[in-house]
Amino acid sequence: MTSLSKLTMSTRTPWQITKSVWWALYVRETLQRTMSDRLGWFWLFFQPILIILVIVIIRFYAMQRVRTIDGADFIPWIIVGLIAFQVFRETMLRSMGAIDANRQLFSYRQVKPIDPVFIRCFVEGNLNSFIFLLFILSSLLMEFSLIPHNPAGALLVWISLWLMGVGCGLILSVSTVIFPETKKIVPVSMMPLFLLSGVIFPINFVPPQLIEYLLYNPVLHGIEIIRSLFFESYNPVKGVSYIYFYNWVFGVLVLGLILQLRYEKRMKVL
Amino acid sequence: MIKVEHLYKRYHIRKVSDWVLKDINLTIPTNVSVGLIGGNGAGKSTLLRLIGEMDTPDKGKVTRDCRVSWPIGLRGGFQPHLSGRQNVKFVARIHGLEATLDEVIENVQDFAEIGNYFDEPLRTYSAGMRARLAFGLSLAFNFDVYLSDEATSVGDRHFKQKAQKAFKDRIGKSSIIIVSHAEAILKELCQAGIYLYKGEAYWFDDVNKAIAAYHDES
Repeated sequence: MTSLSKLTMSTRTPWQITKSVWWALYVRETLQRTMSDRLGWFWLFFQPILIILVIVIIRFYAMQRVRTIDGADFIPWIIVGLIAFQVFRETMLRSMGAIDANRQLFSYRQVKPIDPVFIRCFVEGNLNSFIFLLFILSSLLMEFSLIPHNPAGALLVWISLWLMGVGCGLILSVSTVIFPETKKIVPVSMMPLFLLSGVIFPINFVPPQLIEYLLYNPVLHGIEIIRSLFFESYNPVKGVSYIYFYNWVFGVLVLGLILQLRYEKRMKVL
Repeated sequence: MIKVEHLYKRYHIRKVSDWVLKDINLTIPTNVSVGLIGGNGAGKSTLLRLIGEMDTPDKGKVTRDCRVSWPIGLRGGFQPHLSGRQNVKFVARIHGLEATLDEVIENVQDFAEIGNYFDEPLRTYSAGMRARLAFGLSLAFNFDVYLSDEATSVGDRHFKQKAQKAFKDRIGKSSIIIVSHAEAILKELCQAGIYLYKGEAYWFDDVNKAIAAYHDES
């Protein structure tokens, strides 16, 4: 072996260690997502786009009756809802599995269980933002517009929906270690949540006495808020509140971080 | 120097679980290579993992004032779907060697001698090839103390000799704490020994005496 003496390691500060761990995990996560399948990088972008397109087409031709939305065109309305739901769901589901999938790496004491969770959230946030941008740009070429009338507000709520996914991911990644059943229950419950969040059907079609209960779902608030920031004359469901939504965002983030600290040791056991 | 004070560890697998390690007190000087000896399930790997801070004790603590490697073993540490090269890059990065990445890769490649498999996914490796990569990788860093959990045991004759030589070259600069059932390796590499029996640890300044104590038990 040559020139071993050059490769000395200095004592690093905790922040330096964390930075290099995050960078290493980021490269690794990207490689793994793009190289595991044939044309992995293509499917990475194309799969979520395809899902959105298929749902839009099905929804456009089926149930034509429920197609007029007050104050917004139907297609932009449903695309915004779908992708806003998707950034929340994908961030949550991908980061939920992060600890299980990266267990091997806890052999290196530099890697903490929370690190792969953060990295997956970051990758998922970037990916979905990029897809959203693609949709917005391609809408310029078509007859409908996806340009938000309040871009700064829409960006903030977009980030907040992502942060809610991060918070839920932090909570659920701990939960999968303590209750492995989480891995089965959570994906199943995504379908009802999808329908109850008013992603493809306007919630205004639900009887008013039921809406009261649907409004407990914070994702519905987030999606209605981001739509109202995209379409100027769109009226979100009555009762939608910024305060309720942000309470949830901060709530899940804080709870997630607390759980990560509390159960760190337990999650490191191979 | 590695100091182990009042260390307790147990695993909560069943409702009632016994202590795997019970009130362990040890001071391992730097520059002394130590063999960990004991029957299966005596807690050798557990102690090694606690020293490497890969696991946390239930009570007590481990303090170190030197650079200690991760436990180099047959399990864990690699991502099976990535190639040897990508795994090596990952480990070099988390140790802050981004700047000298190429040099690290070259060193590991030279030492491991696994040829074209270096660019194949790890899941295609044999046990011996994994051990070669793991061992070569750890040698690319200048640790003061190396922790080895049976890492050399599956290697072939040529590799064993090479690994032992690499360690002998480093005596004076680095030491090793090794878990192994191969007594010849322990005698060759270690000066001192720790014999683990029923959750307790006994320190011997001479590794031969630790091995003798183990033989008396069985």
